[in-house]
Amino acid sequence: MSWNKPLPNVDADNQPFWEGLRRHEFLVFRCKRCGRSYWPVAYCRACPPEPFYGNMEWVPASGRGRIFAFNVHRFAFHPGFADELPYVYALIELAEGPMYGTNVVGCEPAEVRIGMPVEVVYRDVTPDGDAAPFTLADVRPVAG
Amino acid sequence: MTHAFSGKYAIAGMAFLAGRFPGKTARTLEVEAVRLAIEDAGLRREDVDAAINTRIESGSGESRGWTDSYARILGLPAKTYFTVQRGGIMTHLAILAATQLLELGIATYVAVGYGATDWSDTRGAGERRQRHRERDGLWGRPHGDLAAASHHSFFASRHMHEFGTTSDQLGMVAVSHRRWACLNPRAQMYGRPLTLDDYRASPFFVEPYRKLDLCLQSDSGAAFVITTMERARSLRRPPIGVLGLGLGEAMRELWWEKRNYTNLAVATAKESAFGQAGLTLADVDVAELYDCFTTEVVLQVEDYGWCAKGEGGPFVASGAIAPGGSIPVNTGGGLLSGYYMADWTPFVEAVTQLRGDGGERQAKDAEVAIVSGHGGEILRPGMCSTHGTLLLGRDA
Repeated sequence: MSWNKPLPNVDADNQPFWEGLRRHEFLVFRCKRCGRSYWPVAYCRACPPEPFYGNMEWVPASGRGRIFAFNVHRFAFHPGFADELPYVYALIELAEGPMYGTNVVGCEPAEVRIGMPVEVVYRDVTPDGDAAPFTLADVRPVAG
Repeated sequence: MTHAFSGKYAIAGMAFLAGRFPGKTARTLEVEAVRLAIEDAGLRREDVDAAINTRIESGSGESRGWTDSYARILGLPAKTYFTVQRGGIMTHLAILAATQLLELGIATYVAVGYGATDWSDTRGAGERRQRHRERDGLWGRPHGDLAAASHHSFFASRHMHEFGTTSDQLGMVAVSHRRWACLNPRAQMYGRPLTLDDYRASPFFVEPYRKLDLCLQSDSGAAFVITTMERARSLRRPPIGVLGLGLGEAMRELWWEKRNYTNLAVATAKESAFGQAGLTLADVDVAELYDCFTTEVVLQVEDYGWCAKGEGGPFVASGAIAPGGSIPVNTGGGLLSGYYMADWTPFVEAVTQLRGDGGERQAKDAEVAIVSGHGGEILRPGMCSTHGTLLLGRDA
């Protein structure tokens, strides 16, 4: 498919996350000592930091969460989104704790509510030209 | 008990240009503002021996930097020139740095400048078309998180959800600011009154935000000269003392701390600034608060304590922040209806008020003013981290 929107910025810190999405796995950065989950990359706030995130690891999360806050874009700040209007951009409170910003799909904008349970759905993108394929994690409503 | 810092240093000169300056570079607007600020102080350029530039980088996307400096162009005999910046606390950090240059005896008169061409860069797209584009490092861009409104509106979403704040109450922030702007001949919205019905007719940009919840875009240059209160007293204009300075960061907590979607990082900033000054909120005569969006004003009247948390909506709707209200807020029209110069907008208005230069909008007996700053990089999930509190006062 043709991709006329901004590309994700993949760097060494977040590369495992984007590779996870390619496999249709939603990863969080978890503390090996206490099991607390973080997103994006961060040291565990409860445990001593070991060199180069030594006490942390990327692990699959449930892909479930609830809508914490949301908005409805009715203006395209980038021309690539002109055909998408209106679109919902939301903060998702993941079941593991952290929040993740993404699009709510699979329902009308007017149906979106704070607290609504959602699950991750994967969107595989193959841009034209030199850019590498990538996968985005949207969310859709799911029975609570 | 006031801190030894409180009142030791003073703003001796100030100038700004804001509005539409097609064909002028940000560099040149900054040069002109600094030239005017030195003149305003009654100094000569030979007197200025240190120079600080402020500009927006982090959290504001495509702002162009420049390697040249106003100090070179103006021919200032500056022993040092450097940039400080972080989101919307540029004047706060510049004062922190400048007072240390003065304290250590490195400099005697420090110039601080700012320049931007935000209006010219967005011409033809309407005044509220946001130039602000998120940087590559932020992860929401492929999902359409493209402008400040794309995530700042989460503050409104949460405040409405938790406290029942309404669109009309946000509209009253816009209306209050416009009433002030209509008393400020330099404001971009001067002569253009706004009613709540006008606000209701304003289209949604990023719902719950309408177009009129977003701040303006301006071409601008702004500058001040700071020195010791002792030196400033012998200069041309009434010195405006730096009474207190405080800083706050939401990221000191877990960055998805839910409280940070309905509170700004005011607590530590307020405590430091008011503690140094030996003042309380009741001593503040004029409040110049960072108003990039309407909700930021609601959050701050709560966070500083003019009303309780959650009551900001009814408070602003009561007219409390408008001309004639109990606390004058953003008396020049703010970023919403005056001009966009980030925290320089509240800063220049505070100096104007404390000098008694407010004309029709002059607050009566203004002796103490607060200048707040807000911004910084916006981590997913949408946290705008930084806050600054500056207390300025008329020389006793």
